[in-house]
Amino acid sequence: MANDSSDFARSMAIATSGLRAQAGRMRVISENIANADSTASTSGGDPYRRKVPTFSSALDRTLDAQVVTLGKIKPDQSNFRVKYEPSSPAADATGNVKYPNVNSVVEMTDMRDAQRSYEANVNIISATRRMIQRTLDILKS
Amino acid sequence: MSINDLPVLSALRTKMQWHQERQRVLSENVSNSDTPNFRPRELVEPKFDKTGAPAGSMGPLAMAVTSTSHMTPSGAASSFDQNRNAGFETRPAGNAVNLEEEMMKSANNQMDYAAVTSLYSKSLHLLKTAIGKG
Repeated sequence: MANDSSDFARSMAIATSGLRAQAGRMRVISENIANADSTASTSGGDPYRRKVPTFSSALDRTLDAQVVTLGKIKPDQSNFRVKYEPSSPAADATGNVKYPNVNSVVEMTDMRDAQRSYEANVNIISATRRMIQRTLDILKS
Repeated sequence: MSINDLPVLSALRTKMQWHQERQRVLSENVSNSDTPNFRPRELVEPKFDKTGAPAGSMGPLAMAVTSTSHMTPSGAASSFDQNRNAGFETRPAGNAVNLEEEMMKSANNQMDYAAVTSLYSKSLHLLKTAIGKG
């Protein structure tokens, strides 16, 4: 499917790589949101650390095009939120509990961004499909 | 002379190939809209001579006047980018893809392609009429 005969198929494959990357990003975001309140299982331990997806552009040799791939998922090194809750099982000796460094507002904006990019890729696929349809219409006339 | 050698048909076919390739470039831009340091790309429009054959290698890039103190080369285009309404921005990550603009280009590309395919079928229809089958 990679060669000259089907440039449209290449366009669709590139857009699909975008869809896949954005879906992976969505998975990481949902992981962050779901774990927004997870504390450590041991007292004084570190809770869930926010994960940040990275994107990289790679040359796909079979397609001969720049496709996008989801790169390493890196931990966010910012500080944990600390709350004074002496009764919590996760509290350390001073009664403080560490909460994940997840900010729901940041996650929500990230989610909207991922959704927007996903829709753009879907639009490219439907536009390409309409172009293929036009090509086939030549045969009908 | 085969049907494919007709100037009209071959010009239309070149144009269709150009739209096909442009769709690939646009789809690359959109799918890399979150990749750091990615800069969007665009395809130079094909130019045709009077016989309908593509002139030059898909039209060379014109010389650009990037400063008011530059002399204008003879026969140069008035500006580098004719589309003055297009936005340009580079995000802190170094990504310069503008999704709205890419969507507009994709829609334009699709409409132009539809026009070219219609012209192609019309030309074929004309040929059929000429041989008395239309």
